[in-house]
This record gives sequence, C-alpha cells and structure tokens, in this order.
Amino acid sequence: MARRPVSLNTRGKNRFVLLCVAPAIILYVLFMVVPTFDVFRMSLYNWTGVGGTPTFAGFDNFVALAGDMQFVRAFQNTVFLLVVVSIVTMAGGLVLAGVMTQGKVRASNLYRFILYLPSVLSIVVVAAIFSAVYDQQNGLINGSLNFLGLDSLSQVWLGDQKIIMYSIAFAMVWQSLGYYLVLYMSGMSNIPAEIYEASALDGAGPFRQFFDITLPLVWETLRTSLIFFIISSINLAFVLVRALTGGGPDGSSEVLLDYMYKQAYTNSSYGYGMAIGTAIFLFSFLAALIISRATKREVLQF
Amino acid sequence: MKRTRTLGVIAAVATIGMLAGCAGNSGTGGDDADTLKIAAFEGGYGAEMYKEVVAAYEKLNPDVKIELTTSKTLADELTPQVAAGDYPDLVFLGLGAKEGFTESFVRDNNLEDLTGVLDEKIPGEDVTVGDKLTPGIVGNLNTNPYGDDKVYLMPMYASPTGLVYNQKLFADNGWTVPTTWDEMFELGDTAKAEGISLFTYPTAGYLDSYFFSLLSAVGGPEFLNDVLTYKQDVWKSDDATEALELTTKLLSYAAPTTVGYANGQDFTKNQQTILDGTTLFMPNGSWIANEMKDAPRTDGFQWGLTPVPAPEADGTRYLTTFVESAWVPKEAAHKDAAKDFIAYLYSDEAADIFAKANAIQPIQGLPERLTGEAKDFYAVYSEPGVEAVVGAFAATKPVPGVDLKATLFDAANSVLSGTMTLEDWQNQVNEASNKLTDQLAG
Repeated sequence: MARRPVSLNTRGKNRFVLLCVAPAIILYVLFMVVPTFDVFRMSLYNWTGVGGTPTFAGFDNFVALAGDMQFVRAFQNTVFLLVVVSIVTMAGGLVLAGVMTQGKVRASNLYRFILYLPSVLSIVVVAAIFSAVYDQQNGLINGSLNFLGLDSLSQVWLGDQKIIMYSIAFAMVWQSLGYYLVLYMSGMSNIPAEIYEASALDGAGPFRQFFDITLPLVWETLRTSLIFFIISSINLAFVLVRALTGGGPDGSSEVLLDYMYKQAYTNSSYGYGMAIGTAIFLFSFLAALIISRATKREVLQF
Repeated sequence: MKRTRTLGVIAAVATIGMLAGCAGNSGTGGDDADTLKIAAFEGGYGAEMYKEVVAAYEKLNPDVKIELTTSKTLADELTPQVAAGDYPDLVFLGLGAKEGFTESFVRDNNLEDLTGVLDEKIPGEDVTVGDKLTPGIVGNLNTNPYGDDKVYLMPMYASPTGLVYNQKLFADNGWTVPTTWDEMFELGDTAKAEGISLFTYPTAGYLDSYFFSLLSAVGGPEFLNDVLTYKQDVWKSDDATEALELTTKLLSYAAPTTVGYANGQDFTKNQQTILDGTTLFMPNGSWIANEMKDAPRTDGFQWGLTPVPAPEADGTRYLTTFVESAWVPKEAAHKDAAKDFIAYLYSDEAADIFAKANAIQPIQGLPERLTGEAKDFYAVYSEPGVEAVVGAFAATKPVPGVDLKATLFDAANSVLSGTMTLEDWQNQVNEASNKLTDQLAG
C-alpha cells in the first residue's frame, strides 16, 4: 500500500491548503484589494495623474461632487440604464426561457443560437453595429420606416436628447439578453417534467405553472445573476457610451464611469475622478446589498 | 512536513514568477546613454514622415542614436510609462487632444523651457530658429502657455482653419463667398430655397477654430486674449453677446442631420455633406483634403477655405491657425540632444519631408513652394483683410468638474436642437469661465 503523501493531522492539511492558494491570494490582494483602497486614498488628494506630486485636499473633492450638475446627470442616466436594462433583460430572458423550455417551440435551438450571438460580440462591435442601425438617414430603423411610408415616425435616435438613453438601453438589452436566456433555460431544464405533469393534472394552466413552479425553482439563479448584471451593467454602459456617443450630445448620454474617466484624465483632476469612483463603489455596493435583501427567499428544492 | 515545505517553496517561486512575468519590458528599453527617445502622435499626417526625418537627422549626425515610437493612441501608451518615471526625451503631441496629455504637463509645470531653442542655429543653414519661424507663430498662448515670454511648446505644422466649402458649387450657382455676416445669412436664405443647408460641423469640438476667428473678428485680438485668459465676466460683454447671437442665428441655418452625426463614429458623415453638395460650409482645416481623399464627391469638386465673416463690411477677418506642438518633459534624460533635434525640424530639408505628407512647417519661404490643394488653403493668408490668429485657452490648474470647452462648444448641439436658449448658453459659459479666472497655471 502506497504511503499517503500528506500527514493526516489537520494542521498539516491546513498548511498545505494555505500554500496552494497563497499565490492566488497574493495576486488578488495586490491587484484587486490594494488598488481599491488606493481609489479611496487618492480621492482625498489633488493630482493631475501624470506628473508632479499629489497634494492633500481632505474632503474638498466630495464637496465639489455634491454641487456638480454633470455628475448628477451622469448618475441619473446610470440609474436609468440599470433599472430599465436589468428589468427588461431579466424579464425578457425569463419569459423567453419559459416559453422555449415549456412550450413546444420548434427549432428552439436555432432561436437560442441566434439570440445568444450578440453576447459574444465585443461592446465596441455592438457600438459600431448600432451606430449603423440608428443612422438617421440610411439606418435600419429609419430606412425601414421610410420604405413603409412611415417616415413621420423616424427619429434622430442618437441626436435627440430626449430619446438617446432609450437608444442606448435598447443596445444594451440586445447585447445581454441572449446570455441570460441561455442561463435561465439551463436552470429551467433541470426541473423534472413530472412536476409539470402533476400540476397539469391538478388543473394548472401554463401561466400558473410558470409563476408557481418555474419561477420559485430558478429563483436562486435569478437572484445571483441579477446582482451580477447590475454591477456589470455599470461597466457595460461605460464602454458602450464611450464608443457610441462619447457622452453627447452635450452630455445628455453621460454615464458615471465615463464622467469619472473624463474628469480623471481629460480634465487632469485625478483626485476628483477618484472621488467619483468612490461614489460609484458605494452606490454599487448599496445597490447589490439592497437587491440581495429584497430578493431573499426561502430556497425551494425539488 | 518536508513535502509541505517543498510546496511552500514552489508556491513562492510560482508567485514571484507570475509577478516577474507581469513586470513586462521596463528594463529592456534602450539603456544606451546616447539614445534619444522620441514619441510621436500618428494623426492625419501619418507616421512615415517621422521615420524619414529621423533617418535624415541620423545621417547628418551619425553619433546620435534615435529610438522613435509612433502611435495613434500615444497618450494611452505614454501615461503609464510616465507615471512609472520613464519619460521620453521629445514628444510630438499637441494641445486639444481628448486625453489632455500635453495639458497635464502644462498644468504640472513639467515642461522644459525651450526659449533657448529660438536662438539655436538650424543645422546646415545660416539662420536661427527664431528668425526662420513665421512671425506671430511663437509668443501666443499655444507656444507660451503661461502667458509670459517663455516658450514651452515648439510650433509644428501650421494648418489654416476656417470655413471650408466647394468652390465649384459656388461657381456653378454664381454665388460669392460672403465676407460679412449679413451676406452670410442672405446666402443662407438663397441656399435654403435650393434645398441646400448653409452650415454644419463634424463634431461640436470643431467650433473651437470658428469661435477663435469669430471672437477676434468681433472684438479684435485683445478681446480674444481676454476670453482665452478667462477675464471675469468677459462672456457678458457686448462683444461676447454679439458673437453668441450670431452663432445662434447661424445654428438655425444648420443642416438638420448635424447633431445626429456629431460624434466619434459618424462625424465623417457630416463632412460628407459638403462633398455631396447638400451643405455649403463647415469649420475645418487643411487636413480635410487628405482625410476625405477617398470619399465620393460631386463632379469638379474643389476644396476652398474662407475665414469666418466679419460683422461689418471691410472688417478684418481672422484665420485660426491650428498648430501642433513638440515639447520636452522636464524629467527627460537627454534634453540638449532633444533641443538640437528640434532645431533641425525647421530646416528646409525637414520641412520638405513634412510637406510631402501635407504637414506644413510654419517657416518663412515655405508657402510659396506649395502645390495643389495645399496651395489653395495657404493662399487665403495673402487675401487682403485677412490675418492669422493662433488660439488656445490658457492653461489652468485642474478645476474639478469645469470643462469650458464642453460648456462652450458641446452646448451648440443643444442650441441647435432647441433645448438650450441663448441666455442659458451665455450664463453657463460665463459661470464656467469665471471659475477659471484665478486658476491660471504657471
């Protein structure tokens, strides 16, 4: 019988485990935790971000933040996007997943493939696609409306300040829907068919089945994906806005991370940018916490 | 026990190995004491001309080795380098770029004083740099960002900017290029009857050259200087009000597609409307010929350039001259070698290399040697009643949340769409400018 390589006592085992994860922990602390604290630290300084030395400024940056209308607008836009895009994506993903697993949809694999494709694309590619789709003269939307004789409905999708946030929200939903669709479908397909058969025998229609069986059983998946999606949307919105509109026209599509980037680099106010970063951190932390509490439910299992 | 210790060693080595791999090539750059490190922005003029100039200089000075980096995203690459303390010796990057890289050096007082270069003799020629440069090209806020007489940014590639148009379209319709604002608006009405818009802009940022010309034409160069140095309440003065009123009226004649295309992805579509003959004027510069050289256009299309009109007849009109910059960081290692290289940039030899890419050095004697489209653009300087002005907002210490350019120029998008009134525009610009009055850098 071969000798066991590791000693049986717990202390040795613990040490072994610790050493195995040590490299990963060290890198994580070095590249994730330390920069995060650095953000908080730099928000208390004034610095151009390139040369020179930072000068301590206390909470001046935060005081300036409170009175900055541009920041408020960026905040409003970001919250708008988070709410609208999350609700539409999650709800759309759930409903479509429900339809495609429960209902007998033919070629559901094909639909799943087509809907998933946008999630694979880089956001910059998505921005280029939608720049063409939203083109006010020859784009897909206005062009089709023109063709159908409905050109009174055509809008300047990226020029009209009143609707530009909706245009961006639509692009974000288009990009994210497929991923969550596939995620929920795999969660739903795990539910054994007997439960549905039993409920059908008891007289439950498809809607009842969806809300009373499907939804509670995929709730944990939904909850986790919602929290992650909200946080990743903040970054998604930044990249999309930067590539598609640059924050224009006249700051109407500005979002938090984009404003932070502009202040930290273009305006050489690195400390102020970090103050914005701190505000974003607190906001996303609170948002994740609130949603986590609000959606907490007893975990049901079949 | 022994195994655990071995594992510990392996873990430590693995971590260090990963970290070393992440450290990158910071140590493998030219450690040679005599290598001049040059970083150049690759813009509309391309990168080829830099390579040729460096080769020509190395031929003249065989004991100097030059390491040239060019990039379309130079600021993104230099920022981490500089933050780590690795400064290039010479940088070709102007003010006004999106990332504000040059501006941050100005704000930090991190630039080497280059006033001495003006007294250096150009290699191979008998004249000093200062005597060869076009009069007026140094001594303004573009080259002397602190408003004193010390030069920190050497001028490169003077490019006239103004309102570009299609000469053939005007000739075919028998229209004359307007020299006053009344003529301009009359032309706007005539053109509207033909279904042609008077004005558009690629992105709102292009209005900077338009505004500098307009403010000079309305109030003279001293007034422009007051605006550029954020004199208190300068935007509430009569001259400023007149300028904003004229602009608001001009924007009412703008092509309806302007705002929708005025972003990074689509701005060439706005420029295309000039080539298609659906718009008359747009603010732009001599680089436009090269930028749109592959674009389709109407038959016989010919680029023309005119300064922004003056308020009264026979008023002086100003051509904003857009000048890029070459500068030396204060922490650079080979400052004297960099300064010698700068002197070479104004020699006839170097100027001819640059001119091949349509990058025109602001030296005397060069405009007469130009041909083709470049000749048309530079000929405007010799029109009577036209003067050159070099404009740039004075450098300030960083002020959080205040972006005067966005407040002044981007707002045009809102004024055009009708979501902002003239009074609101004037108020917000004045407020932003006032916040910068006491924040001049240097």
